[in-house]
Amino acid sequence: MTLNNLLKNRADIENGMRHLIGRPIMVTELDLFALPCGCSGLTVNTRGLLVDDLEIFESHLLKLLEDISQSFEVPSKFVFARIIPGTQEIASLNMRNLCPRCYADFSTTSGKRPRPDIYILQLIKRKR
Amino acid sequence: MDKKLFVPHPGHFEGLQELLAGSKDIYSIFMAGSPDYIGTGRVNLGHASLEEIAQHTEYCHKNNVKVEMVLNSSCMGGNQLSTEGYNLLHWYIGNLEDIGVDTIVVADPYLVELIAQEFNIPVVVSVLAFVDSPQKAEFYEQLGASSIVVDSNVNRHFDVLEAIRDAVSCELKLLVNEGCLYRCPFRYAHFNFFSHVNGPHPRPNVQDDYYYHKCLTMRIQDPSLLLKSPFIRPEDLNEYAHITNVFKIGGRSHFINWILNCVNAYANESYDGNLMDLMDCPKDLMDLYNIPNKALDGSIQQWKKHSTVCHKCGYCKRLVDEIALIYSNKGTKDETLIPWNIINKKGIET
Repeated sequence: MTLNNLLKNRADIENGMRHLIGRPIMVTELDLFALPCGCSGLTVNTRGLLVDDLEIFESHLLKLLEDISQSFEVPSKFVFARIIPGTQEIASLNMRNLCPRCYADFSTTSGKRPRPDIYILQLIKRKR
Repeated sequence: MDKKLFVPHPGHFEGLQELLAGSKDIYSIFMAGSPDYIGTGRVNLGHASLEEIAQHTEYCHKNNVKVEMVLNSSCMGGNQLSTEGYNLLHWYIGNLEDIGVDTIVVADPYLVELIAQEFNIPVVVSVLAFVDSPQKAEFYEQLGASSIVVDSNVNRHFDVLEAIRDAVSCELKLLVNEGCLYRCPFRYAHFNFFSHVNGPHPRPNVQDDYYYHKCLTMRIQDPSLLLKSPFIRPEDLNEYAHITNVFKIGGRSHFINWILNCVNAYANESYDGNLMDLMDCPKDLMDLYNIPNKALDGSIQQWKKHSTVCHKCGYCKRLVDEIALIYSNKGTKDETLIPWNIINKKGIET
């Protein structure tokens, strides 16, 4: 992984969403992250992307996100959007490799909206 | 044009030194104080203590630059009217007066009157008091205002500006580069939110600024809103000469080189670059849109004629389609600029 790869992927996902949705979308930041609980992953901060877009283009957006996650070797088993609660505004798209504790939290929920600020695009559950 | 430029100061002493070394065109700096006493309606990088304000004031005065303190919280939760609130504000403003700051900006009418009555320091009515009519201007002048920053929403309403000029004899200031939405629906709620976030405790713990998100989304979807925003281009300052020669440049949360770029543009009354470089807010969009400032030469004449009924006029919409460019692959070796509306025309590729 190089910094140029990070820059290129930010541009690629921005272009991908613009072409998919047919209007300007901005990716203000692309981050690789690690949390103290043990979760790690990739965050795509977006501006101009709405919940309606997500509902209509969900499978296409998921494909774009899976492509980018492969580039960074981040598993894409859990993919979600963070929403400003009560609005159409999407703050970020996230691919998160869950730690055991967070996996337990999310895997016991059902539906796409386990919390007001989360819209799940994909959650592949682990085998027991 | 012989003009007075009020310039933002982020709040740290090294920044002030850099700012004053970088330009001889600064008439006054303006800065926020400590949010522990009274907030401001904007984001601030620095929270200067009274000792620091004294140091900055001494340095500015040595350099023949005036100091304006911005205490323009648009909401204080009613505390300003309590006994404790009055005592605290009185103590803080008294300290600022002793330090020798030149002017104080406030948004609350109560504070305008309090400062005018009880202190010997000129009081300035903030843009966040939304003075957009001669009647409001008269009201604030009668309360004791020595200067009024006119609501930027009327920056292109020359009939209103001229009526305000006729109605009052105090100084008028125009904020040139705020960059907010014209008649922004979030304006009151957003500034009240900022006032609490950047004011005394308790401060709300907020993850996302909804108003800012929404503001960005609207402009990402419709860049004509960028042109409808009531900014004043450096080239157009002279059009306002019969109203005022006092102009305020917004941008307290920016780096010094960004501020100096704006100061130079407005001092020289010319800027050959991306209009978005000059806008205080929303700064994120300078990495999305490139609107060549020089392509807007002469637009002021159209804005003077049709500044209010956008859906009938359509000028900004047509103009943005002609001139607005959008960055593609920004930050990579393949970075290019393309006409913004190509994306819409291209349609869906799956």
